[in-house]
Amino acid sequence: MKIRTIGRHGREGFKNLFRNGWMTFAAVSAVAGTLLILGASLVLSVNVQAMSANIENQLQFNAYVSDSVPTKELPKLGNEIHSIHGVRSVTFISKAQALQKMKKLLRTNADLINGLGNPLPNEFVIQVVDPHQIPAIAREVKAVVGIEKVEYGGSVIPKLLSIMTIVRDTAIVFIAGLVIMGMFLISNTIKITIFTRRREIEIMKLVGATDGFIRGPFFVEGTLMGIVGALLPSLILYEGYRWLEKTVTLFPPFSLLPTPFVMDRVVLVLVGCGLFIGLWGSVVSMRKFLRV
Amino acid sequence: MIEMQDVWKEYSNGVNALSGVSVRIPQGEFVYVVGPSGAGKTTFIKLMYREERPTKGHIFVGGFNIEKLRERQIPIMRRHIGVVFQDYKLLQKLTVTENIAFALEVIETSRRTIQKRVAEVIELVGLKEKANMLPRELSGGEQQRVAVARALVNKPNVVVADEPTGNLDPENSWAILKLFERVNDQGTTIVMATHNRELVNAYKKRVIAIEGGRIIRDQERGEYGYED
Repeated sequence: MKIRTIGRHGREGFKNLFRNGWMTFAAVSAVAGTLLILGASLVLSVNVQAMSANIENQLQFNAYVSDSVPTKELPKLGNEIHSIHGVRSVTFISKAQALQKMKKLLRTNADLINGLGNPLPNEFVIQVVDPHQIPAIAREVKAVVGIEKVEYGGSVIPKLLSIMTIVRDTAIVFIAGLVIMGMFLISNTIKITIFTRRREIEIMKLVGATDGFIRGPFFVEGTLMGIVGALLPSLILYEGYRWLEKTVTLFPPFSLLPTPFVMDRVVLVLVGCGLFIGLWGSVVSMRKFLRV
Repeated sequence: MIEMQDVWKEYSNGVNALSGVSVRIPQGEFVYVVGPSGAGKTTFIKLMYREERPTKGHIFVGGFNIEKLRERQIPIMRRHIGVVFQDYKLLQKLTVTENIAFALEVIETSRRTIQKRVAEVIELVGLKEKANMLPRELSGGEQQRVAVARALVNKPNVVVADEPTGNLDPENSWAILKLFERVNDQGTTIVMATHNRELVNAYKKRVIAIEGGRIIRDQERGEYGYED
């Protein structure tokens, strides 16, 4: 293909956007609408995922050893806890280490506990495989002879986690549905666009234009529509998210992921989707009309 | 040269449009194709520029074996054939000049050649004053002259026309026929399907009459021969 021809495809494709003003508007709106909702769902699901991950990192709880257990029994106790199903690792923190930690926390006020000897018990930090099982495992650990007390975040974490999971799964289903609906909408719009121009294609074929030549401007047109359709929601989402992030930060402990971290990726995904939809739409819809 | 050897065409709905048509049209001839509606004239024309494929038989147009033509060779073949229709088939959003230039642009002709050739054919069809007008600003006859100019612009060996005067008044019909004659004088083959008795009887040319998908008459300097 000659360079002049590529230039022509570019020019024609661009001009066609305006020649077929209303169809362009319809197609770009369809792309923009779909991608706006897609982008919003992505932003939501990325944040939910980050929050869940944050919680899931808290996979540990503490078990305190009764002072009546002699020191040489402690490793045996550790092993016993470790053998409980679902426990990943057990770390021992001695009374002395716990005291050091406490002193560090109290810093200048460390003197306060100097006169008390060491009131702190020996302690095991237990890491589990699945945070959902913390309550069950904690009960088992408590049943071990020599363990005086276990301490964990209570029932809040599992509940929060299951809510997060529901939100995330819903978002995934929602996104999948949207993408399918969007593609259907867009392919129909492009089909109508091309249908209204079948005469143009017919004439091109009659005067001896190759299929590749006929496709050229449509490719350019579809691609441009896809990109414009992606940039619009990108802009709206970027600005919207930035505002939201700023607002939410005012209300700790809530927080959203930083705008550039989330939105750079989302914009990339949207533009990629727009490009793909535009190209795919022009290819699929044209196939039918090239058989003149 | 155009040659058909025992050509049959059956459409997928079972209609037999052509049944065993054989014909030979030497280069430079002017041929009318006549016959009642539904006789198979349009199919006869469509086979020549490979809009339809024959069910059986052989077709040769200007050195191309139509039935053996590969998909990607079709555009190349069509560049040697000019096609004119009853409904003009102009692009409404392009001017006269752009419509004609379109036929050269799509075959990647250089801009300078396009300008030169388009100016020549616009002169030939007598539309120099209306070169920058849109089709809807023209009369039917003028639109058909644009269509003829577009068919001629890449100097085809053959021009096929399906009822080119079907929508035109007598005066404009004469003008189109005169144009075809001039082109024919320069050695281009003209195949024109028509219902226009006056034209056929006034400008005596070879007449091929088709009825029920068969050639029932083929005369040099023939008559229209049907009652309307």
